[in-house]
Amino acid sequence: MLLFREGSRDAFEELFSRHHRAIVRFAWRMTGDPSAAEEAAQEIFLRIARAAPTYQPTAKFTTWMYTVARRATLNYLRDTKEDGEKVPILSEGEREDGVYPVQLPGPDDRNPEQVVWEAQLTERFRIALGELPEGHRAAFVLNRGDGLSYGEVAQVLGITVQAVKTRIFRAREMLLSLLSKDLSA
Amino acid sequence: MDCRDIRETISACVDGEASPAEAASVREHLASCDRCRVLERQMRALGAGVRQVRGRVPDRFREEVFSRLESEGALPKRRIVTPAAWRWAAVPLAAAAGLGLFLLTSREAVRGPAPPGPAASRVETSASYAPSPQGNAPALSTEDREMVALLDILEDPADLDASDDAEGMDLLAPGGSADTPNSSRGGRSGA
Repeated sequence: MLLFREGSRDAFEELFSRHHRAIVRFAWRMTGDPSAAEEAAQEIFLRIARAAPTYQPTAKFTTWMYTVARRATLNYLRDTKEDGEKVPILSEGEREDGVYPVQLPGPDDRNPEQVVWEAQLTERFRIALGELPEGHRAAFVLNRGDGLSYGEVAQVLGITVQAVKTRIFRAREMLLSLLSKDLSA
Repeated sequence: MDCRDIRETISACVDGEASPAEAASVREHLASCDRCRVLERQMRALGAGVRQVRGRVPDRFREEVFSRLESEGALPKRRIVTPAAWRWAAVPLAAAAGLGLFLLTSREAVRGPAPPGPAASRVETSASYAPSPQGNAPALSTEDREMVALLDILEDPADLDASDDAEGMDLLAPGGSADTPNSSRGGRSGA
């Protein structure tokens, strides 16, 4: 980014080739729509390029990049009339015993993160993700989707680490509730 | 600890963000709570689920982005060497070549036949390499010829085979006096 700020086009091309897939994925997870994701991802790179003259490396580049990306998608979602809190914090699908009746593929005992999801379930997941309030969705996507730590998510969203922890937990509760409702319908 | 109170910590533990003390309390709770063990597995599965929502990079995405950036002037122009650019480069190159040729021919013209007298051999060192009708100077060794050739690459070393090549070397010879060039010349000519 510093080289690009100094006028190196090659530096921007390198930056683009390194990060464009992550940016498109982030935009896709945040908007849930292919054309919206493409538009938002283009806007993110435009903002990065425009910000180059004033860029200061005060944080990790990826943290700064996701800050730009989140603002761009947030603006995009506001423009398309997303109004935030769509899902009640109290999960309606939660049973008294606290276990959600959602048929999620069971994690492999040896490698619990390597879960193969059916295409249909992935589609339901995408829709459920879109139902989360933007702040909760952003926290969950940045942490679980893009691998940012709670501290980095806190920097991107401009909130405390404790708030990130709470948002991610809430996002999980809501997703489980939405998916259980969907599957039980 | 109550299940309701520990679920947020279970979530942090799944993300690897719980402190060692929190992680220990979660492990202790999970060991004795079937419901929270199921919930913990569901939380892990949700993390895998978000990574499955990937989308794909649209066709021509790169072209679209770079086109928009260029139209805004937000991207430095790529320097492309085109045939047209080469044509422009050819102008100064041709001028330089012409100047070089001029200097070379001018030098040859100046050198011409070596004027007689000491002044000429003093001032124009290269002129001293010019062949002389006096053919009594000792021939340079191969090593000397190479040395002289290095001193003036415009000279053809073959020319140094001429008999009075050593005149130029007189100027460099130890003990030779710049003020008395004729002495050595005269000496050779007298030999």
